[in-house]
Amino acid sequence: MDFKVRLSRFLRFLFPLAVCLAVWELLAFFDILNPNLVSSPSRIIWKMYELVFPNPILLVYLGRSLYRLALGYALGAVFGISLGILMGMNRYLYWIASPVLSLLISIPTIAWVPLFLFTVGIGDETILLAIFLGCFFAIVYNTMNGIRSIKKELIWASQIMGADRKIIFLEVLLPGASVSIITGLRLAVGYSWRALVGAEMLASISGGIGRMIYAARAFNDVNTMFTGLIIIAVGGLLIDHLVLGWLEKKTIEKWGMVKKRE
Amino acid sequence: MKTDKIKLKAVGITKIFDDGTHRITAIQDFNLEVRENEFTVIVGPSGCGKSTFLYLVAGFEKPTKGQIFLDGKLITGPGPDRGFVFQEPTLYPWKTVLGNVMFGLEIMGMPKQEAKNKAMKYITMVGLKGFENAYPHTLSGGMKQRVGIARALAYDPEVLLMDEPFGALDAQTRKVMQQELMRIWEKTKKTVIFVTHSVIEAVYLADTIVVMTARPGRIKGIIEVDLPRPRSYTDKRYLSIREKVLTLLEEEVTKSLELQRRTD
Repeated sequence: MDFKVRLSRFLRFLFPLAVCLAVWELLAFFDILNPNLVSSPSRIIWKMYELVFPNPILLVYLGRSLYRLALGYALGAVFGISLGILMGMNRYLYWIASPVLSLLISIPTIAWVPLFLFTVGIGDETILLAIFLGCFFAIVYNTMNGIRSIKKELIWASQIMGADRKIIFLEVLLPGASVSIITGLRLAVGYSWRALVGAEMLASISGGIGRMIYAARAFNDVNTMFTGLIIIAVGGLLIDHLVLGWLEKKTIEKWGMVKKRE
Repeated sequence: MKTDKIKLKAVGITKIFDDGTHRITAIQDFNLEVRENEFTVIVGPSGCGKSTFLYLVAGFEKPTKGQIFLDGKLITGPGPDRGFVFQEPTLYPWKTVLGNVMFGLEIMGMPKQEAKNKAMKYITMVGLKGFENAYPHTLSGGMKQRVGIARALAYDPEVLLMDEPFGALDAQTRKVMQQELMRIWEKTKKTVIFVTHSVIEAVYLADTIVVMTARPGRIKGIIEVDLPRPRSYTDKRYLSIREKVLTLLEEEVTKSLELQRRTD
């Protein structure tokens, strides 16, 4: 795409945010917002600076959170996609797993955490498990539906050319369900972020962005809390745009299976 | 061109669909012999089970009763001795034109370069040279069906099965595709079973026309079309055969309409 078009699109996206930030800053500047309860953009930026120089605690925490997120998400994606495909392919497995999934999917991930604290204990394992569950259900569910909605003619067409199960799996089912799989992966980014932050608050013994927000409460440090919120928001947006947006462009957009996003 | 060797033989075929609540006999006691290199067209009123028969030959569905033999071998499931062109272009959106046409050859285990060359030969044959790297969603309906035909021919099956392949095309494109198909068929000399509800199409394409009855589908009549190719849609003999087929069909179409009214 043309650089100019990209730039104008980027600015169009940024403009409403900039307006909101400006209004927020003004409200804070004229003390309309209570500074003990609500931070302001300039104070958040200053806080970020303080949290990086000289001691880059923010970066350490961010790194820890991202590491947990990546690991939990990757596990959730691998298991979720695999199980989703199996469930989509096998009628009996679908019959068994589908009602169970429908029930489990409605439990907020954070509600599992006390249980994990009891069974697995405080620490990274509980956080990882929460992230894993957070993305697992969305991915399994969407993958399964993606497989089930593949037209049987597409499978037949490969069978009559002599395709065995392995070829059908790799060349027909997997790409055929890609629209749903990517939808699941997208939803899962949001869910796993949420799970991460929530679980860190309850179960982290070694920092992280969620832990940082929670700990700041004890010092009435609204600026740090808001810094954490902003980082979570921007982080989620960047992962969605850069990683999954890229994946989408390389696959289903190119194949004409979804409309190009404006 | 056609020999007397029997290529495909269907014996006593009955297909009943039963989903627990509805029981539909799609085909009953259907017998058919197709000779090698013969272009057979099956016509019948809609819902007469002509596509079902093709699915049975393809091995996508199994007959309730009866057997189908290809070169004397019982058909038990889908396999590469048959090629299939679907009613809706059933291309893989994630594969390019070349990727789609090569797929069957890759499954066979043909080396990549050889498969590519062979696929290109068929892409050229259906008139799509220059589009080999295009993705299906960028092609028109007619072009997609051309890819479908190239894909079904590329791995050189014994029989080509075509299920109303031009049904979704506009009248003009349809005519062009019929002429193109004849040109391709003259080149490859495949045994073809072609299903349609268009009598015009049937008489233009067929060596043999099989007219089916309304549901449950049986054979109403078989008409040999002994006209030289390329045929003209306005030729006197063409018109008289068309008339013959239409007369056979008319009764069945009326019956099929009644059947629909009753089930509605």
